[in-house]
Amino acid sequence: MERKPLPLLAPAIAAVLAIGPALAGAAGPAAGARDPSIAWQAIPGGQFRSAVRFEEATATLPVASFQLMARPVTNAQFAAFLQRQPQWRRDRVPAVFSSPGYLGHWATPEEPGARLDPDAPVVHVNWYAADAFCREQGARLPDFIEWEYAAAADATRADARGDRQWRLRQVNDGTPNAPDAAPDAAPNVYGVHGLHGAYWEWTGDFSSLLGQGDRRGQDDGDALQFCGGSALAFNDAADYGVVKRFVLLSALQPGATLGNLGFRCARSQP
Amino acid sequence: MNIRPALPPLGLALCLALGLYAGPAAAQAASAKGAAAAAHELAGESVYHLQAGLVDQHGQPLQWADLRGRPQLVSMFYANCHLMCPLILENAKALQKQLPEAERGRLGVAMITLDPARDTPEAMAEVARNHRSPADWRYLVPANDDVRALASVLDVRYRFREDGSINHTSVLVLLDAEGRPLARSEVKGAAPDPAFLAQVRAALAAAD
Repeated sequence: MERKPLPLLAPAIAAVLAIGPALAGAAGPAAGARDPSIAWQAIPGGQFRSAVRFEEATATLPVASFQLMARPVTNAQFAAFLQRQPQWRRDRVPAVFSSPGYLGHWATPEEPGARLDPDAPVVHVNWYAADAFCREQGARLPDFIEWEYAAAADATRADARGDRQWRLRQVNDGTPNAPDAAPDAAPNVYGVHGLHGAYWEWTGDFSSLLGQGDRRGQDDGDALQFCGGSALAFNDAADYGVVKRFVLLSALQPGATLGNLGFRCARSQP
Repeated sequence: MNIRPALPPLGLALCLALGLYAGPAAAQAASAKGAAAAAHELAGESVYHLQAGLVDQHGQPLQWADLRGRPQLVSMFYANCHLMCPLILENAKALQKQLPEAERGRLGVAMITLDPARDTPEAMAEVARNHRSPADWRYLVPANDDVRALASVLDVRYRFREDGSINHTSVLVLLDAEGRPLARSEVKGAAPDPAFLAQVRAALAAAD
């Protein structure tokens, strides 16, 4: 997976980007129109035992009530966003947010083109663009634990994780064989589709998931850069789908893009 | 038609993606080259491309990009942090003090809270008073949903803990006048890193 822009390509991209309209002076996120095609589902909060052991003393953590997009952001929704905020087009995005693969599979800088399903999740978007999309919607990317909380549900149970067969199928998350990969797969009990789909999804806190991919112990690593930082472990290493997702996300840089990594937004309850 | 993601291991998939997509990007670069001379555009690597509104410790709203114009020392912290955060502030203060007097005022200092829900502008003003920091320091409160993006461009990692504390990277980031990150100093105590001080002085000299 990519960690840095290719050295040869980066200056070329920077040159393109330098001529884009100045972003900083442009209208702020509040000026953006809310996308009426986005459906939100309420996720009632509760106590939750994450498969991931964060730095807490207790394994069970409170998750506040929040809202989650019923489906991942689609190609069409992202194209509409680029119409509203063209500074995020692949040919205009500033170097600080750019990455070589960003929307590179689209036919043009504005449109996914006829080869792509407009209703399929948008992929090859980096964290910055996903974050900007959500902020424009008065929303944010979900925290990992919020994603995991919502994804613990199946069609009938808020927490189906005790069902070993259901959980085993999540080994295929992020592939076309994932349990929710088919477009007509049933929503979970909250009315949310595709959480165990063919696509991984960014979380807001991906860079703070202190898993195998974190920097401690590497070249610029130092345990002291985190106050109270401690080693991460899993409460339930047998929760394969979650563990696999966690390890993947924690290894990414914000500029990374993948062909099976999209996103959806969350909103805190007012 | 729905194009499904490629299935080979991620690394391979990405290599393919990079190979495929270098083409269009490079072509765009070439065609745009002639027009690239435009003068006062913000540098592509500038963190000020991020659109984020903030409020300072005096209650004055400003845009993140308003920091453009002189080198800045930037960090992220929160008020209710009693171990590392005072060290961040003291370290930055000491660093500024070690600058020759003529250079001191030319370095902007901005401390951004990770916890806008609790750190109101008034709370920021109190931190400024308690630490007797210079009057021109900015203590900035971002909008709630902008914190992650600011932390990302500054490469600050943080996680809220259940007890209300925040694990976070304790770092001073040096930005040039255009907002390009030049250097960073992990804060481990109140004494500034001499090498980082030298980088700050070089940035101030370059901004002449």
